[in-house]
Amino acid sequence: MNRTMGLVVTHGDIGAELVRVVETVLGPEPGLAALSNRGLSGADLVAAIVRALDAVGPDVSVLVFIDDMGGSCANAARVALRGRTAAAVLTGANLAMLLDFVTWRESLDLAELSRRLVEKGREAIAVLPLPAED
Amino acid sequence: MPIVLARIDDRFIHGQVSVGWGRRLRPDHIVLCNQEIAADPWQCRVYGSSVTPPVRVSIRDCCGAAALLDEGAEAAGLVDAGAGERERVILLVGSPADMLALLRRGLRVREVNVGGMHHARGKREMLEFVYVDRGDLNAFRQLLDAGVRLFAQQVPGSRRHEIDAADLDAMEKEF
Repeated sequence: MNRTMGLVVTHGDIGAELVRVVETVLGPEPGLAALSNRGLSGADLVAAIVRALDAVGPDVSVLVFIDDMGGSCANAARVALRGRTAAAVLTGANLAMLLDFVTWRESLDLAELSRRLVEKGREAIAVLPLPAED
Repeated sequence: MPIVLARIDDRFIHGQVSVGWGRRLRPDHIVLCNQEIAADPWQCRVYGSSVTPPVRVSIRDCCGAAALLDEGAEAAGLVDAGAGERERVILLVGSPADMLALLRRGLRVREVNVGGMHHARGKREMLEFVYVDRGDLNAFRQLLDAGVRLFAQQVPGSRRHEIDAADLDAMEKEF
């Protein structure tokens, strides 16, 4: 069985709120956690991510979701995951992506899961048509 | 190579720099000065890929950054080819001590932006986003003594707080 743990690393409370909403929709999810960069230096954020992943066994792969590409969370995540073979960082975290993660995290391997989540996250960004009144 | 922002920020390149100050100042080049990162090619690749072209990123230790920023250094062949004198540069260091080290190596700046010094053991709060220890205060004082103005400000639209000797005196009493 494939197993992947997810950690949502974001500015402010974005990650915690996303995880809270995911659990509201799908129920408690032990494989998904959140971490904020609030008040942390770059080095301390790296350390916090490493601590959060310490409990993850070597047979479990890791996906770190980031809210913004090129920010402190993205830099810290990449540094924190250094040396882990089964790990990836996905940027642009959104609700659709996380709901799909919880649904598929035990079914797909890391590469397949990553590809799927990027696709689902992008699909969820769209201009919705506003139908004309009759 | 005009420095449009010389900033102390222990997160180095992140949204406040690349988006916040970047939109206002339109830098061509970010120079990140940090010994640990500069010594690690892997971390250099991480930070080097954290902004989008055409903005360039150079990562150096203090000695290398001072050479890179020195107007005469390029002619002497000490720095990257193609680093133009007219480039608008954002200089990032992680601590007041590193900024002071650059100053001692010839860096010429009128003011330094204190953008983010986060909490760590032994540090006390000076401002919401500026935590200091005695070493930081000492370096700040030497920067002021050298005629450099210090201003704490996270992003262009936020409140600017001038850090002066009286602020440092007040913080000294906290220790």
